[in-house]
Amino acid sequence: MTGLAPLRRSPAARLAAAAALTALVWCGLLPWVLELGPVARHVALMEARRVDPSAMYYTELERLPLRPAWVDDVLVLWPSPW
Amino acid sequence: MPASVEDRAKTGSSDVGRARGLHEDLAAVLIGAGLVILALAVTWAGRPDGDRASREAHPKGWPTPLAATVGLPGTWTDSPLAAFRDGSGRVAVAPVALGMGWVVAVGTLGAVLGGGSVRRFLPGGALLAALTCLAYLLAAQKVVKFYNLEYPLWALAVGLLVGNVGGVPRWLTPALLGEFFIKTGLVVFGAEVLVSRLLALGLPGLMTSWIVTPVVLVSTYLFGVHALRIPSRPLCMTLAADMSVCGVSAAIATGAACRAKKEELSLAIGLSLFFTVIMMVAMPPAIRALGLDPLVGGAWIGGTIDATGAVVAAGESLGKDVGEVAATVKMIQNSMIGLIAFAVAAYWAGWIDRDVSGPRGTLLGEAWRRFPRFILGFLGASLVCSALHGLGPAEALWVEGATTGFTARVRGWLFCAGFVCMGLQTNVRELAPLLASGRPVVLYLLGQALNLVLTLGMASLTFGWLFRNAVAP
Repeated sequence: MTGLAPLRRSPAARLAAAAALTALVWCGLLPWVLELGPVARHVALMEARRVDPSAMYYTELERLPLRPAWVDDVLVLWPSPW
Repeated sequence: MPASVEDRAKTGSSDVGRARGLHEDLAAVLIGAGLVILALAVTWAGRPDGDRASREAHPKGWPTPLAATVGLPGTWTDSPLAAFRDGSGRVAVAPVALGMGWVVAVGTLGAVLGGGSVRRFLPGGALLAALTCLAYLLAAQKVVKFYNLEYPLWALAVGLLVGNVGGVPRWLTPALLGEFFIKTGLVVFGAEVLVSRLLALGLPGLMTSWIVTPVVLVSTYLFGVHALRIPSRPLCMTLAADMSVCGVSAAIATGAACRAKKEELSLAIGLSLFFTVIMMVAMPPAIRALGLDPLVGGAWIGGTIDATGAVVAAGESLGKDVGEVAATVKMIQNSMIGLIAFAVAAYWAGWIDRDVSGPRGTLLGEAWRRFPRFILGFLGASLVCSALHGLGPAEALWVEGATTGFTARVRGWLFCAGFVCMGLQTNVRELAPLLASGRPVVLYLLGQALNLVLTLGMASLTFGWLFRNAVAP
């Protein structure tokens, strides 16, 4: 155990350990989670509908939201350019 | 020898805004405005032949040649190498490398305008761009992406990890221009905040967004300050805005407007993303269980879930029409960011930050002196692009092409770099006291509960009753 102490104190060794753990989670655990039923169904549905749930703002969406065609024109305060 | 987080916090590290150079805000406005003008000019120069006003031909606006200069890592499942391949499976590293190049270019320009040294910035700038790319790579993993764990979270995590576990080498500190990257990103972001979008759903959408959102924003802020007695007003405002308006983007804009500390912004973003995932998963079954009208359910989702992508995901899982209403209500809220950030900045400059012991000037003069200038750049970009967007169908596609194809991606890289810098400069122990009291979490939960009740009431009134016949598919 004492042989590991210098490694634990070394910032580079701690960073390497953290990087290895991150790689294990991202490349091992998360792909396994993706196979689970509800997760797989959610991802498949989003892919099928071309939805990007990670979009931070509407401009990052795969399809820009538009004024739905079924909204009656009587509700528009002035003409829209799109 | 690496600098400690405490050293970096004490001394600061920004070369932008130091003596001899331009003020950081002015540098951010100049560079941000330059990027927006570049996007509009190049998109106009490369405008398509044929029917330029056809949305069917150009669903996301005119294609811009600049899109090829700023790419992002693609979605991947088990091998991150897949993130650097295009749709046909060919290796496509160049667009991502060019995206990193924008971080280095903007940072270098900022350092120069601020009177700093290019030679001191460049080594750290290159590492910063690499860490920014790493954050994007973590966010692009399929499970992470499809559950809305957005890149700011991973940018903060990467920065915190490197800064607190490995330490930051001295040569990296001149590149830690976190506030400058965020401010420049905000000015560029202004081009996407199109006021003309506010009317997309006419009166029902306007009522759902414009009546409920300010009420929830102000109530949550006042409750945090006066009832929960949270000592930091900027934290209360940032939490209130990110919960009531549109998540991370609103948190960035209002946090910058009220000068929230980086730890406070980090906490607000973390809370928002955590609860967004829960609401994205929980709201569709709740709407089904309550037997709500689909349009009312869509408006409820759009008005309450923080993040835009999560709103669309939750809405689409209930149906196409529901997703359409949810996305449009959220887009209307998105379009409010400019006005809200301006109002918050004016309130802070004129009221919160006023110096009662100093010499008395006129209220407006004092407010103007303290007003963050980059907010004017943000608002200016928004107003100019809104005006251009409203000129006609072809001009609307011009602005949309410039923003979706270029400015949205560039500001993404800049925000991501800004958050990496924030993480690198944050001592993880400074976050503990903020979380230990539990009051920010209580504020978020109570504010969101109010938001859920009021938005459901307003959505039922507008989409379910008053304008039912006008908005039924």
